[in-house]
Amino acid sequence: MMDQASILIIDENHVRAAIIQDGLREAGHANVRWLNETSNLLKRIADIDPDVIIIDLESPNRDVLEQMFQVSRLVKRPIAMFVDQSDSAAIRDAMLAGVSAYVVDGLRKERVKHILDMCIQRFDVFSRLEEELHEAKTALADRKVIERAKGILMTAKALSEQDAYALMRKTAMDQKRRLIEIARAIVMAGEVLK
Amino acid sequence: MKTIRVGFMPLIDAAIPIAAVECGFAEREGLEIALVRETSWANIRDKLIHDLFDASHMLAPLAISTSLGIGNAKVPLAVPFGLNANGNCITLSARLYRAVEEVLGHSPVDARQSAQALKRVIDKRKLSGAPLINFAVVFPFSVHAIIVRHWLRLGGIDPHNDVLFQVVPPPFMVANLSEGVIDGCCVGEPWNSRAVESGVGSIVAFGADISRCAPDKVLALRDTMAAQEPEAIYRLLRAYRAAAHWCQDRENHGNLAHMLSQPQYLGVAPKTVLNALSGTLAVNRTEARSMQDFLVFEGDAINRPDPRKARWLYAEIMTGLRKPLDEAQAQEAAAVFRPDLFDAATGNNALPESQDPIGLKFGPAFDSDDLQSYAGALMQAAE
Repeated sequence: MMDQASILIIDENHVRAAIIQDGLREAGHANVRWLNETSNLLKRIADIDPDVIIIDLESPNRDVLEQMFQVSRLVKRPIAMFVDQSDSAAIRDAMLAGVSAYVVDGLRKERVKHILDMCIQRFDVFSRLEEELHEAKTALADRKVIERAKGILMTAKALSEQDAYALMRKTAMDQKRRLIEIARAIVMAGEVLK
Repeated sequence: MKTIRVGFMPLIDAAIPIAAVECGFAEREGLEIALVRETSWANIRDKLIHDLFDASHMLAPLAISTSLGIGNAKVPLAVPFGLNANGNCITLSARLYRAVEEVLGHSPVDARQSAQALKRVIDKRKLSGAPLINFAVVFPFSVHAIIVRHWLRLGGIDPHNDVLFQVVPPPFMVANLSEGVIDGCCVGEPWNSRAVESGVGSIVAFGADISRCAPDKVLALRDTMAAQEPEAIYRLLRAYRAAAHWCQDRENHGNLAHMLSQPQYLGVAPKTVLNALSGTLAVNRTEARSMQDFLVFEGDAINRPDPRKARWLYAEIMTGLRKPLDEAQAQEAAAVFRPDLFDAATGNNALPESQDPIGLKFGPAFDSDDLQSYAGALMQAAE
């Protein structure tokens, strides 16, 4: 069954917003919108008039949303923060995932919980993706440094590629340091001695 | 070694927690502080009340509103230390400042004259059917909002009907001024200076023009933490007190500016931080202004949390919301400020000697025993 609650995502990260949007649609929430332009934010929110607002915690704009708790001339319906005050575990989970939600008063709790759980899941997926990307980038950068260090050794000591690599490995083991650290030191020395 | 998780916003008034770590004052107390930078006051509040922080840099009015459940879940907090007084400015957009100059025939000479001139600008706009001017502050419950209301009243402007208020996070202030989304703002440094440098705004008042020692940011903890871990809190307070002393000393301002400017803290140029610490700012394209107590970190009237200040904040919050005061709630607010913790930690046994805990420089006199009269006078000044 499709859920017609209108959900607004405020996230300046395009990729993450897309991942969350897809997740919510797959879970049967047809009415999902995304705002990445946040100037004059309250006015934009008032125009869209959503039932649920999902916002990432990195956004300074959370403080802008705090005004909605007061009687504001800009927002038509009263807004509350998600979940019971007593449900600290749910709020903690959301904050640890990096997301917060504001909902229009009166929306059924289970419906909101379903939406937020989906968002938490998708935020986690995104964090994992980011982490993997970061690791892949680091590994690639490390490999480049090691290649350069190998080249420097081959020229300086007239070694074969295999011997240059073996020398670095042995040095790393003898000094109880990582191969990449030795490679960095060689590259740095190579720069100085150039 | 006990590790305390402390949240902070990247602002100059986070100097004390940062110096407590960087200068080793915490370590000397056998305390390890893990500083966590945040992006919004809402995050700070939520992480503190849901136990992801043990303590935090916080807007003084937010500590009161959170404890009373105004605008969010009610979670009692304890404030055992005040981090600073003042440090904010009121800045008008270039366009509004020009309008103020036009009615005066010259640049305003002080905060009072600028507010009075703004009143005339507002009256003219009303006649011509122009929309209300928009003021931005950093959070609904902030000393910034309180300061702007006082300044507006000084000019005879009704803060509730003659202007609109909205929240804009400090990093977006300058862009909002330049795009005409807002016409004025109250924010800490370096954002006012940025507006002046880039020609999109002029400073018309310093926070210290409005009050001598209104509480701006404080150290806030969960009330339960104060009860469960008094020893850790005492250590933290002693470290903060030493840091406050160090931060206040002009001799250290060069080092402090360098410390705060680092990328993991504020990530701005040391010169920018130094200007605010020195209290000498360019206020418009041609003039600079110096004020000795532009931003103050140390003093018993600042660091020792005076419950009368909490009562003042409560009265200001309620008049801001245009809601009636309640004495039971005022007492609850007063109990948030904990001089007992400060005294137990520092061995202080002096009672606050100042007659006037806020030091308002104009407007209705504040008497903490008679909040009703004070709030009534504020509301009347607004009519």
